[in-house]
Amino acid sequence: MVKEETGTREPEKLTKKDAAKAYYRWYFANEIPHSNERLLAPSLLWALKPSLRKVHKDDDGLKAAYKRTIEFFNTQLTLGGGIITGTLTNMEEKRANEEHAGGPVMMSDDMLNMTKTGLMGALAGVGDAIDSGTIQYIFIAIAIPWALAGSAWGALFPSLGFVLYQLLIGRYFAHAGFTQGREAANILNDDKVQNILSLLSILGMFMMGILAGKYIPLGLNLSFEISNEVFVMQDFLDSFMPGLLPIVVVMAVYYYYVKKGLNANKASLWVAVILGALALVGIL
Amino acid sequence: METLSIWQSLFIAVWIALVEGRAFGGMTLTLRFSPLMTGLVIGLVMGDVGLAMVTATILQLIYLGVNSPGAAMAQEPAIGTTLAIPIVLMGNLSPVQAIIVAIPVSILGAYIYKYRFVVNDKIGKRTDAAIEELDHAEISRTIILYPIIASLILFVPLMFVLLQWVAPLIASLLMGLEGTHAIHVLQVIVNGLIAVGIATRIYVLGKQEYLLFFFLAYVLSIMLQSLNITMISYAILGALLAALYLLASKNGAAVATSGGSDFDDDDDDF
Repeated sequence: MVKEETGTREPEKLTKKDAAKAYYRWYFANEIPHSNERLLAPSLLWALKPSLRKVHKDDDGLKAAYKRTIEFFNTQLTLGGGIITGTLTNMEEKRANEEHAGGPVMMSDDMLNMTKTGLMGALAGVGDAIDSGTIQYIFIAIAIPWALAGSAWGALFPSLGFVLYQLLIGRYFAHAGFTQGREAANILNDDKVQNILSLLSILGMFMMGILAGKYIPLGLNLSFEISNEVFVMQDFLDSFMPGLLPIVVVMAVYYYYVKKGLNANKASLWVAVILGALALVGIL
Repeated sequence: METLSIWQSLFIAVWIALVEGRAFGGMTLTLRFSPLMTGLVIGLVMGDVGLAMVTATILQLIYLGVNSPGAAMAQEPAIGTTLAIPIVLMGNLSPVQAIIVAIPVSILGAYIYKYRFVVNDKIGKRTDAAIEELDHAEISRTIILYPIIASLILFVPLMFVLLQWVAPLIASLLMGLEGTHAIHVLQVIVNGLIAVGIATRIYVLGKQEYLLFFFLAYVLSIMLQSLNITMISYAILGALLAALYLLASKNGAAVATSGGSDFDDDDDDF
């Protein structure tokens, strides 16, 4: 590997393209080097590497930039990753220009670090809830009937649809981070954005309701013979309230979470034991 | 009974190692949490996409709650899927039998996945050395290439052995359950676990007031069952209802505030 020439070459100018490129690199590297010590910091370094090399033309400056980038870092892929890669691209360019000019350095290590750590947690919480928690499952819900019919689209649609979404929205955030700096995070306070988020979580609820109605075929297995006529309990139930049993189970688990906190493993165990026993003795 | 050839086992093992090594970038978020794509890959490799996808869908439904934001994940659905679907296909089993294998294996898989972070800590030391040397290519290798290789080493031999030699044994054992009452019991348990998955997801989605939309959708889908309405149509309907609700609550708030100020004005006039 040929080392960079030391000297006083001018930092190159960075554009929105560099910010988008940083995001795409972050998108790919993301969880590959995930470690206990640094979490996703190596991915951030790999994302910013081309931009850092463009602006830090002296070895010491570049090495220092690498070192401050590879400190502990963790955030969510699109919202956190997009805004932070964009913001840091912008800030590192300023830093390099200040270093090159030889005057006082306003864009200090502290400033860069505080921006990074200040944004990463807040954006991760919101980003996870939207992406992994809601949008991913809207795509999956739409594809379930195709998958159940044995179609490849049942797998391709949620995977590719979600990837397309991640790439487009992340690029948008990277551009916003590059042009507006850390102010880009204020986008979350915007009324329109708040409305979109509410709409998505309502839609998420709605799609889960559809899935619950279609794919939990729980019913009573009981039947009696009364004077040579078979009386099927579930038919009787269906005659005035179809779909009663599945919603009772869902809401029982929901209520359990409300009372005891989220513990899906425990809930699964209880449900498996209780329903399993009822099925064993022929009630379900 | 149909078993896997060495190449089939190897291909599937490499696939899951790359997914768990996160080597396909941000796409691995879905690949890891959702069994659907792994189901498709296994179906293609084993030449039975239909049964593989049906089995994957059942696993998908019980895993709807598995990735709860913020909470540590105790299961790796894709790893459980990787063993469960070939077993179902080998024994031509009822798809619900998949959960017998998928759940324990995906819990085991979570431990291996966490071990990856420990290995990556060690690789991180090399990144430091490469930064010190300003060896740009080595920095890239330590961040991308070595962690992927580490994941291949962690997952491929283990998954290969499980697929090649353990899976046929489990399949022949589970074939004994076919036709017994156990299948019905499993079916009921699967339905219960789907209910848990859905309950978890709606709990995680937040705002309790939005639960009304869950109930609305539930009632709609029960009432309209015979019409075979597609999920896309339901999604459009859901989005429109959500937009109407948000619009109405915004206008409601606006009317309430403007009404209040009018009242104040009147007061001032007198």
